[in-house]
Amino acid sequence: MKLVIWLRRNLGLLITHLILSGASLVILLPILWVMRTSFANRLIAYKIPPVWFFTPTLENYRIIFEKYPFQKYFYNSILVSAAASLVALALGALAAYSIARFKTGDPILRLSMLSTQMLPPITLVIPIFLLARIFHLWDSRLGLVLAYLSFNLPYTVWILIGFFQGIPVDLEEAAMIDGCSRVQAFWRVTIPVSLPGLLAAGVFNFILNWNEFLFALILTGRETRTLPVAIASLWTQQGVQIGAVSAATFLVILPVIILTWVIQKSLVRNLTFGSIK
Amino acid sequence: MTELVKSSSKKSPAQPILRSDRGLRIQLVLPAIIGIWLVVGFPLLYAFYVSLHDYVLSQGGIKGINLGNYTQIFRDQLLVGATRNTIILTISVVVLEFLIGFGLALLLNNKRLKGRDFYLLILLIPMLMPPITVGTIWRLLLHPELGIINYFLGLIGLPQPAWLGDPRLAMVTIIIVDIWHETSFILLILLAGLTSLPDELYEAAMIDGANSSQQFRFITVPLMMPTILVAVLIRMIAALKTYDLVYILTRGGPGIATETISYYIYRVAFVFLDMGKSAAMSFLLLVVIILLTLILMRIMRTAENI
Repeated sequence: MKLVIWLRRNLGLLITHLILSGASLVILLPILWVMRTSFANRLIAYKIPPVWFFTPTLENYRIIFEKYPFQKYFYNSILVSAAASLVALALGALAAYSIARFKTGDPILRLSMLSTQMLPPITLVIPIFLLARIFHLWDSRLGLVLAYLSFNLPYTVWILIGFFQGIPVDLEEAAMIDGCSRVQAFWRVTIPVSLPGLLAAGVFNFILNWNEFLFALILTGRETRTLPVAIASLWTQQGVQIGAVSAATFLVILPVIILTWVIQKSLVRNLTFGSIK
Repeated sequence: MTELVKSSSKKSPAQPILRSDRGLRIQLVLPAIIGIWLVVGFPLLYAFYVSLHDYVLSQGGIKGINLGNYTQIFRDQLLVGATRNTIILTISVVVLEFLIGFGLALLLNNKRLKGRDFYLLILLIPMLMPPITVGTIWRLLLHPELGIINYFLGLIGLPQPAWLGDPRLAMVTIIIVDIWHETSFILLILLAGLTSLPDELYEAAMIDGANSSQQFRFITVPLMMPTILVAVLIRMIAALKTYDLVYILTRGGPGIATETISYYIYRVAFVFLDMGKSAAMSFLLLVVIILLTLILMRIMRTAENI
């Protein structure tokens, strides 16, 4: 009898848990399966029906670092992603501050930042490829950094405008009355106060760059390619190397998953271009 | 210092002090504007110039003016097919991801639900994963002979389809993978909207005797409309540009069954090396995206006024 009453009161909650657990499994199982395969040796990785229990091995990780220079691709990815993100942050913060505080070029300048988000990558990659050939920037990390600035820079300006607008002008005025110049007030008051927003924008740009594929595919060569291009190229070399592909995939998604959790609080703002805070 | 902040906030608007920095404001925006001009503005102008000319890389440099790049676009049967595929893909993923995402967000927006943050932590994982890795994972799982999914289907006696090799099934498979990848985006945004709805409205409605489906229809849906439209708009723009998943899963195949507009333009540019034609088509895609965005934004404005 008690059970019936309990069920009647909590049936909705029970069904909710069932659905959410199901959805969580749909998300987790594919990732866990790839993780499992990355630790399987050559024979076990290809076995169907699958072998459920085996001694894990680092063979696949050895392959991607010794047979393919994945350390180089990691280096390229980190360097290019971070460089574009940092340059965008530096230039973007200054411009966003000017637009937010002095209404510089309002509203055309502000809206033109947002409108670049509509640009399909394919529209930009064609001219950027041709220009990179002319200026000898093809197959160079610098060329890819410049290409990534095409979306990092306007995005950063746009998102930081909203952020600076949320910081009361009074803070800077108080600093200026206390004897700071405007530039000092910006450096000593506004920047420290807006550090969380700057950090979130920077990390978000880093993830976008880390994930980017089309520009990297077109603009890089064997030495300069980034991780997504390297993973895609594993598919064509000597058929499918299930173990190696799994190991590389797992290593590339792991930092992204962790970063997603770290910046979870600011994600909504970043993903919706500040339209929802 | 806090007292100074308080006193100045009421009396003097900030303008007098701010206005004194005319030179500074230009100096601050100039580096970013020059940067954006160099990496966006100039390339776009150059692409437009290229789109007006005969320019096939394998035949040397830019040749004479050729408006045919634009006038012949609509006679290109491959582009028509790619457009059809893109529309099917976009409508399918936006509608399905919205329905699933909204449903899950409603379930998560329950104060009595324990473990809410834990579910959210897991459900958010796919959102920012590189599309190439998402495609790789699913290509491994969906492999006709070596994949775990067909193994399980075989165990329970179901047919084991060639998910990505069957022209009738390939697009459905891409849609499923896209749903796995992107639903968490809509979920996160709608959940943020739901949690910010004021409790008082629901309490008032309960006192007035509104049941939960009435509350949903007359409070949740109207108040959520702006958030819903933002989420749908952003997803739609992204879906219209779909490229990465197609590249890693099917390369547009089998045949051209899953070729999207972006993928077809990529082929024209970097396989056939026809820069003029591909640039022209890429501008057409841009125009379509701008038009659809403007239409949706108009709908948003009317929805907000209601």
